[in-house]
Amino acid sequence: MDTNAALANWLEKGGRHIGQIAIAKKDDGWELRHADDAGRDDLQLYTKTADARSLANLDDASAYRALKTAPNLRHGWRLILPDVASVRNALDAFYPAMLGVHLARERGEIVPVNLRDTLARQTGMYRITQKLTDAQSQALIAKSCRLDGGCLKTILWRISPELPVNSLPAEKFTTPGGGEWPLLCHEACNILVAEARKVVKGEVKEG
Amino acid sequence: MFSKPDSALVIVGHGSTLNPDSSGPTWEHADAITQLGAFGEVHCAFWKEEPSLRQVLHCVNKREIYVVPNFISEGYFTQTVIPRELGLNGPLTEIAGRTVKYCAPVGNHSRMSDLLLKRAASIAPGVSPKETSLFIVGHGTGLNDNSAVAAKREVERIRSLGLYGEVIAAYMEEDPLIAKWDELSTQPNVVVVPFFIADGLHSYEDIPVLLGIASTSPGAASATGAGVFTQNPYRLRGRTLFYANSIGTEEGFAEVILDQVAAFDAAAA
Repeated sequence: MDTNAALANWLEKGGRHIGQIAIAKKDDGWELRHADDAGRDDLQLYTKTADARSLANLDDASAYRALKTAPNLRHGWRLILPDVASVRNALDAFYPAMLGVHLARERGEIVPVNLRDTLARQTGMYRITQKLTDAQSQALIAKSCRLDGGCLKTILWRISPELPVNSLPAEKFTTPGGGEWPLLCHEACNILVAEARKVVKGEVKEG
Repeated sequence: MFSKPDSALVIVGHGSTLNPDSSGPTWEHADAITQLGAFGEVHCAFWKEEPSLRQVLHCVNKREIYVVPNFISEGYFTQTVIPRELGLNGPLTEIAGRTVKYCAPVGNHSRMSDLLLKRAASIAPGVSPKETSLFIVGHGTGLNDNSAVAAKREVERIRSLGLYGEVIAAYMEEDPLIAKWDELSTQPNVVVVPFFIADGLHSYEDIPVLLGIASTSPGAASATGAGVFTQNPYRLRGRTLFYANSIGTEEGFAEVILDQVAAFDAAAA
């Protein structure tokens, strides 16, 4: 089943939440808005899939959101889209790769990559991240990936086969229930790798 | 008309964790190619943004996937980072029942010279090319960075046409430095075209300071209304200077991306 069909299925079964976005069925199609904006009637209306990219790019203070799964999606908008294909494109902009990664996981195609393997693969300026200690890893992940202020994805990987991430609460490693579309992290992102480099080089205070 | 309804296209850009405009042109070229209906699916992937190179193949439904790097030159990213992150072992890689075809980067394309000339002419309308020094600015230095080689190649091609009074390659971080543009050039008019993919950190925030047309980094283009490109010409150091957007924002890049796919097929035939 391709991504559009899978999304249509999910919506048909009543799926209405992904990350900070609430989806609603309307007479003229589908409406997306920030879940915090439920009940507001003063939202700015957008109608194009392309609007999703600009809405996703900046937070409420107009600061750049390099990490689209950070819990700082801007408020104050609603996006009306005519069909599931448009919703798919918009969600790909709000939460890049998150539709595809979840479906790939359901097909059994996702093999989580442990942090040590991710760091071992690095070359050039990021090769130095291989020196990150286990303790530094735990502290860095606790700071960068935390649900409150860091990232909304569910971590699927470990630091190494014998060492799980134990510096964040259990909810960080379990997918949300209630029919919510999960945001999954099957491998540490480059933002974390770049932060690891700063830690190893002593450019940021650990923890 | 180019048509591959059973194939997917993945355009790979660098992206940025600092500048919100870095990935913009890559998305715009993807949108243009989607509008053309040239591929069954069109995706973007980035080194520094999402979808990442580690995620993108999971998002593709088609079995045949063309990957085109939206990079100015062959080098560290096209030869090391992209193949490593995507799991490629050459131009043609089978990954879990899918075929990934790795094409040449856009900056290698012979049409780059035409696009640079088009950009240079459009930024300085009515100005005599014969009385103009044209600068093509690359990054220079860095890991296995061939951007300087690519800029020199374009300068030689354009110089051989004899259209401009002089054509000069200059760099941000190695000699000849773009900061010395007035010493490097002799013509009364100076046109500067950044040989970069996006109006991101380098072309929008760094080079204007090096040129002397901004005293401090103006901040991201999308946040400041692209002011640095709207105040041409600049009159300083006894010259008239025109500063252009990065070449990668040129609309013609979408066609160049399609050309790189066609070139892959032609080479494989």
